[in-house]
Amino acid sequence: MSNEVLIADLSSDLAPVRRRSMLREGGLVLALGVVELALFLAMGVMRPDMRHMAGSPFLLWRVGSLGLLAVVACVLAIRSYAPTARPRRGLTLACALAIAAIVGGAFVIPEGVSERTLLDRINPASGVVCAASIFVLSLPIMAMLGALMRRAGPTQPRLSALSSGIAAGACGAFVFAFCCPFNDPLYVVVWYTAGCAAVAGAARWCLPRRFHL
Amino acid sequence: MIAAQNGHGGAYRRLLDEMSEWLTRYFRRRLPPGEVDDAVQETLLAVHRRRHTYDPQYPLGPWLAAIAKNKWVDQLRSLARRPVDELSSEIAVGDHEASVVSSSVLASLLDELRPAQAQAILLVKVQGYSVEDASIQIGLSASAVKMNIHRGIRRLTAIIEKTADVE
Repeated sequence: MSNEVLIADLSSDLAPVRRRSMLREGGLVLALGVVELALFLAMGVMRPDMRHMAGSPFLLWRVGSLGLLAVVACVLAIRSYAPTARPRRGLTLACALAIAAIVGGAFVIPEGVSERTLLDRINPASGVVCAASIFVLSLPIMAMLGALMRRAGPTQPRLSALSSGIAAGACGAFVFAFCCPFNDPLYVVVWYTAGCAAVAGAARWCLPRRFHL
Repeated sequence: MIAAQNGHGGAYRRLLDEMSEWLTRYFRRRLPPGEVDDAVQETLLAVHRRRHTYDPQYPLGPWLAAIAKNKWVDQLRSLARRPVDELSSEIAVGDHEASVVSSSVLASLLDELRPAQAQAILLVKVQGYSVEDASIQIGLSASAVKMNIHRGIRRLTAIIEKTADVE
């Protein structure tokens, strides 16, 4: 087929298309996140001492940093779907933010926590459950970001998929933070990072498959 | 492009004609002559499928160049996947200027590779020697030559992916 024939084919019965919009796509992800959080809390799984803990620096750090990371990572992921985007910069920024959040955890250690042994603090048995919960909670956002990515045209789909995974993991961790009963920043850093990393790895592995510009 | 996004077929046709000319020039400098038409058509199809991703706030050139570069990398990958002893009969034919520019781009890219990889690619992919003849010339086994070609093209692809879309 010559180029002329192809161009004639493509331009005949051309339908209007709706342009991508950062606001619309961000709004969709936000709406899904809000619905997920509302459903999760409606199940009655919110930690019972939430009101008592509401003003504590530890909870503010946990919820605040995860919420900020979720919003920033989602914006960066959606931006990375444009053909001209450079996802590496966004990934660097998201990682820097995550590291800053982890470092911030060192300043909000509740009293009495640091006296326990390392194994007690990390508590692997509960930690694995936390990481698995974060993974499951991040799946709806990952599916939504995957759908947005398929509709868009990222020219570096693997990096865009990794960005999506980090964003989905941060959203899952943010939702889970409302029910997690553990008050140790070390526990949060280890297991929340593990959960987010698992989500990012899964997204990196499965989202670019069957994707073609 | 804005008119094309709104469904204006005539404007879209003119745009694709102009893009086709630009893409032909773009790929002539980067691919063997036999691959240029395929690459242009693949890119036009990608432009058509992803036309909703163009944001009118930004210039069209970088958007098209990003898609073209992606298709260039795809073509290089498909070249690397093909059996190394099958060469297009058109490889030595073509426009003289394009060949000169293309070989200059290729030479600068080959400088980034290990000497053994560059030599294997040059002999088999560019000069048309069989793997066996190339292995005798280089003094390596045929499988080592194939491995050098495979790794070299993979490295070239990575280098191209890291470079800017527009020169």
